[in-house]
Amino acid sequence: MKEEKAEPKKGHFLDLKIPLGVLLNFYGVALILYGLLSGKEVYARSMGINVNLIWGVIILAVGVALLLAVWRKRPARDSGKS
Amino acid sequence: MAPVISLLFIDYAIIAGYILVMVFVGYSLRRYMRTGEDFFLAGRSLPGWITGLAFLSANLGALEVIGMVANSAKYGIVTVHFYWIGAIPAMIFLGIFMMPFYYGSKVKTVPEYLKLRYNEATRGLNAISFAVMTVLMSGVSLYAMALLFEHMLGWSLTASILFAAVVVLLYVFWGGLSSSIYNEVIQFFLIWLGLLPVVFLGLKSAGGFSGLAQKLPEAFLHAWKNLGSSAESPLGVSWVGVVMGLGFVLSFGYWTTDFLVVQRALASKNLTAARATPILASFPKILIPILVVIPGLVAVAVLPEFSKTAPPGAEYNSALILMMSRFLPNGVLGLAITALLASFMSGMAGNVTAFNTVWTYDIYASYIKKGQKDEHYLRVGKITTVAGVLISIGTAYIVKQFPNLMDFVQLIFSFFNAPLFATFLLGMFWRGATPWGGFIGLLSGILAAAGHYILYKAGALHYASEMGANFYQAWWAWLTDFVVTIAVSLFTVKKDPKSLAGLVYGLTPLTKETVKLWLRPEVWGSLALVVMLVLNIIFW
Repeated sequence: MKEEKAEPKKGHFLDLKIPLGVLLNFYGVALILYGLLSGKEVYARSMGINVNLIWGVIILAVGVALLLAVWRKRPARDSGKS
Repeated sequence: MAPVISLLFIDYAIIAGYILVMVFVGYSLRRYMRTGEDFFLAGRSLPGWITGLAFLSANLGALEVIGMVANSAKYGIVTVHFYWIGAIPAMIFLGIFMMPFYYGSKVKTVPEYLKLRYNEATRGLNAISFAVMTVLMSGVSLYAMALLFEHMLGWSLTASILFAAVVVLLYVFWGGLSSSIYNEVIQFFLIWLGLLPVVFLGLKSAGGFSGLAQKLPEAFLHAWKNLGSSAESPLGVSWVGVVMGLGFVLSFGYWTTDFLVVQRALASKNLTAARATPILASFPKILIPILVVIPGLVAVAVLPEFSKTAPPGAEYNSALILMMSRFLPNGVLGLAITALLASFMSGMAGNVTAFNTVWTYDIYASYIKKGQKDEHYLRVGKITTVAGVLISIGTAYIVKQFPNLMDFVQLIFSFFNAPLFATFLLGMFWRGATPWGGFIGLLSGILAAAGHYILYKAGALHYASEMGANFYQAWWAWLTDFVVTIAVSLFTVKKDPKSLAGLVYGLTPLTKETVKLWLRPEVWGSLALVVMLVLNIIFW
């Protein structure tokens, strides 16, 4: 049970960070836009806090970070390293 | 009954975005599914962080989230036991001690390990009971989802069931275990992003942690203090029952032998990643009470229907939904709904993938049609996926009979999983366990669980609560399996030690980790245990 025993080269599956990043970017942008366009009355439940705007910014940041991570890994993958 | 929540265009857009991405993920994985191993085990190619998050999310389904918020509103902070003592030690044990035998022996399923270690009969018993159980669970997921969406949004029960089933069918059919795992990781992110706003807004409304503490009964604020005896314990179970029943038998039985979770680790790209899978999962697991316990406590503090002065008979399972409708404006509301939808669908997908793997390898390829080509089994797996979804739909309507879904799950676990852990423990760590010892032990354990249940229901055994009965049932089933396996092993023929190499401790070369010390599973596992211990002391 050696760790380093050369494993057969494994198929490179779709990088999960891409669909996840795209989804979170969409959510971030949608919530920010809705947060900017919606009236104050929407936020009666959240005690006047525009939670869509705040949370949208945070989600967008996570989404952008995920896509950045994919983009930064790109050269390594082009040279055949997974 | 009028729906509790009304959605706007923004919320529907958020739900649709998730569905589109999941179908797209399934569709793009389709072309990678060339062999059985690609379909059933994700080609054993995934990194530890993905399998780790999937390992955790596989258990963060419908019942977890809704049921645990309900438990928290009903019992208070003691609910953390399902996340801490009832999960972490077992996960660490799996990663450090058991994974070398699971992953190292290159088995494809948990029943296959039982065949190699014991015999065909033991495998058959486990494979068939597991297949039945996963299909039940899948139906549970589906029914719970449809019921929730009917109550919450006014959607038709049948429409929700069929819609979710079709989406799950599509992406599992195309991408197999990889689709399931990817959905689970996406679900992990969604559940945090979707539920954290409820936690923050709920806490703010209750006046922060100190305000919350003032509004709750004293007994709600302690994890251990009130567990001195089953009579005074809010759960109706004393600390002995919690530690032995939940912490030892149920938790180890579930986390270390349930193929649904173990399958995630088997999809890892190497042994280090496989061992890291449950250990990486243990850290976010420790934090899940933030998402489920706090909303339950806030519900008691701020929602009149759950306050301690309210008339009895509160519908605790609706606590989370009422919290969402109370605090979330449209927008983040859609996100929370999506998080729930994702956790339901991934729960179902996880069950369907575990079912198709066990059915194809352990039942079809072992008893029905042996020695076929790989493509044949790949095709069978795809057909089984369709069948599994259809059976789930049927099961969804059966599950309606059971009033408390969480207790139902515990009941099923304790019939099958609790004794199984004894079979594995002896199989992996005692070379003297014989094939027939394993089989008769396992069968006796299952019968003991069933017998205990019958005696309890007939009124011959008394416990302070249903939960207590479940915990002790698991304990007796485990003990029966353990004792019977040893007893029968002393009188039956042993296996040739050579055939047990790689399967049993002492006959297998010890795992040599070559990664840096600070990356080793042992180091992280110990850290998780320390964190858990400290938290238990803080919330004593």
